Amino acid sequence: MTVRWAVEVEDFSWRYQQAREFALRDVHLKIPEGSFTLVVGPNESGKTTLMLAIKGLIPHSLPGTLRGTVRVFGQPVEHTSAPVLAKRVGYVFGDPEAQFTALTVEEEILFGLENIGVPEEEIGERIRWASELTMVADLLDKPPYDISGGQKQRVAIASVLAMRPDILILDEPTSMIDPLGKDQVVQICAELKATGSMTIIVVEHNVEAFAHLADQVVLVYRGQVVRVAPPQEFFEDLAFVAQHEVSPPQVTTLFALLRERGLYNGALPLTDEEGIAAGWQLLAGEGR
Amino acid sequence: MPKAEIAKKTLLGVVPVDSPFYRFHPATRLMLLVFLSVTPLFVDLPEINLALIAVALFLLRWGKVQLGQIKRYLPLLFTVALFMFTVAYLAPGDRAMLTPFKLLGLTFYLEPIWWAFVSYCRLIAMLFGAILYFSTNRERDLLVALRTIRLPFAASYVLALSLRSAGMFMEDFATIREAQQARGLDLESMSIADKVKLYTMYAVPLFAVALRRADEISNALFARGYTLSARPATGGKRSDYLRKQYRLLARDWVAIAAMGLVFGAVVALRIGWGAFTDDASLLKALFRWGVGV
Amino acid sequence: MALIEVEDLRFQYPDGTLALDGVSLTIERGEFVALIGQNGSGKTTLSKCICGLLRPTGGRVLVDGIDVAKRGVKRELVRRIGYVFQNPDHQLFNSEVYDEIGYGPKNLGLPERERDALIREAAAVAGVHESLFHEHPFFLPKGLRQRVAIAATLAMRPQAIVVDEPTTGQDLRQSLEVMDFLSELWRRQGHTIVIVTHEMPIVAAYAQRTIALCQGRVLIDGPTREVFTHADLLAQTYVKPPQATRLAQTWTALGVRPDVLTVEELVAELERVLAERRGVGTRRAGS
Ligand SMILES: Nc1ncnc2c1ncn2[C@@H]1O[C@H](COP(=O)(O)OP(=O)(O)OP(=O)(O)O)[C@@H](O)[C@H]1O
Ligand SMILES: Nc1ncnc2c1ncn2[C@@H]1O[C@H](COP(=O)(O)OP(=O)(O)OP(=O)(O)O)[C@@H](O)[C@H]1O
Ligand SMILES: [Mg+2]
Ligand SMILES: [Mg+2]
Repeated sequence: MTVRWAVEVEDFSWRYQQAREFALRDVHLKIPEGSFTLVVGPNESGKTTLMLAIKGLIPHSLPGTLRGTVRVFGQPVEHTSAPVLAKRVGYVFGDPEAQFTALTVEEEILFGLENIGVPEEEIGERIRWASELTMVADLLDKPPYDISGGQKQRVAIASVLAMRPDILILDEPTSMIDPLGKDQVVQICAELKATGSMTIIVVEHNVEAFAHLADQVVLVYRGQVVRVAPPQEFFEDLAFVAQHEVSPPQVTTLFALLRERGLYNGALPLTDEEGIAAGWQLLAGEGR
Repeated sequence: MPKAEIAKKTLLGVVPVDSPFYRFHPATRLMLLVFLSVTPLFVDLPEINLALIAVALFLLRWGKVQLGQIKRYLPLLFTVALFMFTVAYLAPGDRAMLTPFKLLGLTFYLEPIWWAFVSYCRLIAMLFGAILYFSTNRERDLLVALRTIRLPFAASYVLALSLRSAGMFMEDFATIREAQQARGLDLESMSIADKVKLYTMYAVPLFAVALRRADEISNALFARGYTLSARPATGGKRSDYLRKQYRLLARDWVAIAAMGLVFGAVVALRIGWGAFTDDASLLKALFRWGVGV
Repeated sequence: MALIEVEDLRFQYPDGTLALDGVSLTIERGEFVALIGQNGSGKTTLSKCICGLLRPTGGRVLVDGIDVAKRGVKRELVRRIGYVFQNPDHQLFNSEVYDEIGYGPKNLGLPERERDALIREAAAVAGVHESLFHEHPFFLPKGLRQRVAIAATLAMRPQAIVVDEPTTGQDLRQSLEVMDFLSELWRRQGHTIVIVTHEMPIVAAYAQRTIALCQGRVLIDGPTREVFTHADLLAQTYVKPPQATRLAQTWTALGVRPDVLTVEELVAELERVLAERRGVGTRRAGS
C-alpha cells in the first residue's frame, strides 16, 4: 500500500519581506495522512513559518520571497483558495489573541463553521462538543478578551477543533494552559489520532506530554529541518537534542544521567509509565 | 470555574442579562435605533425632540443600564453645544434681517441662536438613540439584525468587520492604558489638561498597535476561510446559524408596528400638513420673552 | 511590616465573574514566591490587584503599608512593586526600546539625567543591549520583548516584581536565562519576586514558597518542597508536580524520598538508595 501524503514540502525557502535573511531554507518534509508530528526547535528557528506555509498564510496573506512548493493532499497550497484551505487545514495560532475575530466566544467558535458552510443543524452540536472538550462551555457568552490567558488559548483551540479539519496544526497550543489541561489537550489529540482520519501537527517547546504520541519528531533549527525521527530514536540521542536547545522530558534526562553513571543500561523512557517501570526494575530488581 | 454571569458587555457598556431589552429580537432593537435617530430629522419642534431624549433616557432606565455610564458622554454633549452656539454667534448670517438682543454685554441675534438650539435638540435626540442602541446591544445583535432584514452579505460583512475591528481597537486602547498605569500613570490624580495631553499621546502607540492588529485580523480571517462572498468556494451555502438562534415573536411585531405607525404619522403630518415646525414652540415664545424681544 | 499583605480580598469583574473570593496572604521582603493554579483560578487577577491595576471589590491589599485602593498612590506604588504582563505585547506601546524602558521613570517625573542612568542600568540588568535602544519593540524576537518588558518595570526600581508567566513560549535556553536573571535579582539585590506560572519544573527549581489558588481561593500555601508532596490536593486545581517529583512519589515504597524537586536531586536520591542497597547486599554476602 502506498502512503498518502497529507503534506509535502519540497525544496522550500521563504524570506519575509522586511527580513534580510531567509526564515526557511531548502526545507524538505513529508507528513503521511493520519499521522502525528511533533515539531520542536528553539525560538526563532522557523517552526511557525513552516506551519504558516502549510496553512497557506504564506504566501497568500504574507508578503515575501518564496522558492519551492508546499502541497496539501497533492495540491499546491499556492493555488488553493482560503475557504478550501480552511476546510482542509486548521491552524491554532501561538498567540490566541492574534486569532480572534469575534466579540463573543460563541461567535469565535461559530465563525469558521459558518464560513465553510457546515449545516446549521450541526453547528450547535459542534459548538457544544468543542467547548465542552476544552472546558470553555461556561464562557460562550463572554468576549474572548475578558477571560484568562489559558482560557483564551482554550477558545483558540476549540474554534479550530470545531471545524474538524483534515490537517490540524497546533502552534504551541498549551503554553498558557494548566498542567492537567495540557494532558487533556494531549488526550484530545490522541483520540483524534485514533480515529485515523486526522493528520495532526503540534509545535511545542514543552515536549513532555506529547513526545510519546508522536509518529515523528521534526527538529527545526536555524531555518532548516535538521532531523526527522520517531520519538524514541530522536530522544535517544540526547546530546544532539541538547545541542539544539530542545528540552527533553525530565524522565528521559533522568535515565540518561543514570546511564552515564553506569547505573542503567536500558532504552531511555519517554513517559511517566515507562519511567516508573524502569525505576522499579532498577531499584527492586537489584534487591533480588 | 466562573460564577454566574450577571451582565453582558455591550459595544459601549455593561448591561445586566435580565435587562428587558433582551426579551426583544435584535431586529426590533435595531428598529428602535432607526426610529429614534431618524424621527428627529422630520421634527423641528424642540419640545418633541426633548421628549424623544426623555424616552431614550427612560428606556435606558427601563433596560437597567446604569445611567452612570452615560456620564462619560457629557463632555461630548457639551463640546457639540459649544461648537454650535459659537458658530451661531460668530457667523449669524445677514445681520440686517435678524433680531438682535443683548446678553452679558454681547450682541446676539435671535434667529441663529434659536436655530442652533433647535438643531442641537435634534442632534442630541439622534445621538441618544445611538447611545441607547450601542449601550444595550452587542456586535452579534447588530449582525443578527442585519441578517434578519436580509441585508446583502457584502454589506453586513463590511459592517460586521468594522464593528469587530472597532471593538478590538477599544480592547487595545484599554490594554495600553493598563500598561501605562502599571508604570505609574495615575489618571485619578491628573488634571483635565493633562488628560487631554495624554489622549493625544495615545495616538502614536495606538496607531502602531492598530497596524499590527490589522495584519493579525487579515491573517485570522484567511485562516478561517472568510471571504467576501456569500458562498464558500467549497460549494454549498454559507451557513447562518447565528440568525436562526433568534425568533421574531408577537411582541416584536407589535413593537415594530407601533414604531412604524408613529414614524409614518410623523412623516405624514410633517410633509402633508407641515406640522412639527418650530412655529408652535412654546419654548420659542419663552425664549423671546426671556431675552426681551 | 510585611511587604505585601492581602486581607480577605475579593474581586468581581463588571460582568459578575467572581474571580477572587476571599484571598488572604502575606509576602515578606526578600521572598521568592510562585503562584500556581488552574486556568481562571484568579492568578492574574490577584497579581493585578496587588499591583494596584485592579481595585478590589472587597477586602484590602497593603503594599509596604500603603492601601493600593487609595486614590493618588499609584506613583508611590510603582516604586515598590512592578507588574510584568502575561503577554509582553500587552505591555509594550512605545516606538523605541529606549522610550519604552524610560516611560516609567518619566512618569515618576525624574530629571532627564537620572532617567537616562536608570534606563541604562535596567537595560543592562535585564540583558537588553544598548544597540537595541532604537529598535521598535514590536519587531523584536519574543525573548527580547519579554526582557524589554522586564527592563521597563525594573527602571522604576521597585522592591518587588510580579512576573506573569515569564517563560511562556520560551525555549529551554531563554527560559533558563529569564529565570536565572530573576533569581539573581532575588539573591543579589534582595528583590522580592513573585512569578505566576504553569511550568512546575520552573517552580520546583526556583521558588522557595508556592501558593496554589483554586476558584478564587488559596488552596495551599507553603514551602515548595512541601506543597508538591500534596499531589491530590493540587489535582483539585489542575496542577501536578513536576515529572521528577511524580516519579519519586511512585517509588517511595522502594525507599525514595517523595519530596525531590529536580532531576539532579532525583539522580542523587536514586544513587543513595542504590548505594544503600548494595551496602546491605555486600554486608549480607560478607557475613
Ligand atoms: N512577519 C515577519 N516578518 C519578518 N520576519 C519574521 C516574521 N515572522 C517571523 N520572522 C522571522 O523569521 C524567523 C523564524 O521565525 P518563526 O516565528 O518561524 O520562529 P519559531 O520557530 O516559530 O519561534 P518561536 O519558538 O519563538 O515561536 C525569525 O528570525 C523571525 O524573526
Ligand atoms: N476582563 C475580564 N472580565 C471578566 N471576567 C474576567 C476578565 N478577566 C478574567 N476574567 C475571569 O476571571 C477569572 C479569573 O481570571 P484570571 O485571569 O485571574 O485567571 P488566571 O488564574 O490568571 O488564569 P490563567 O492561568 O488562564 O492565566 C476567570 O474565570 C476569567 O474568565
Ligand atoms: Mg512560533
Ligand atoms: Mg493569567
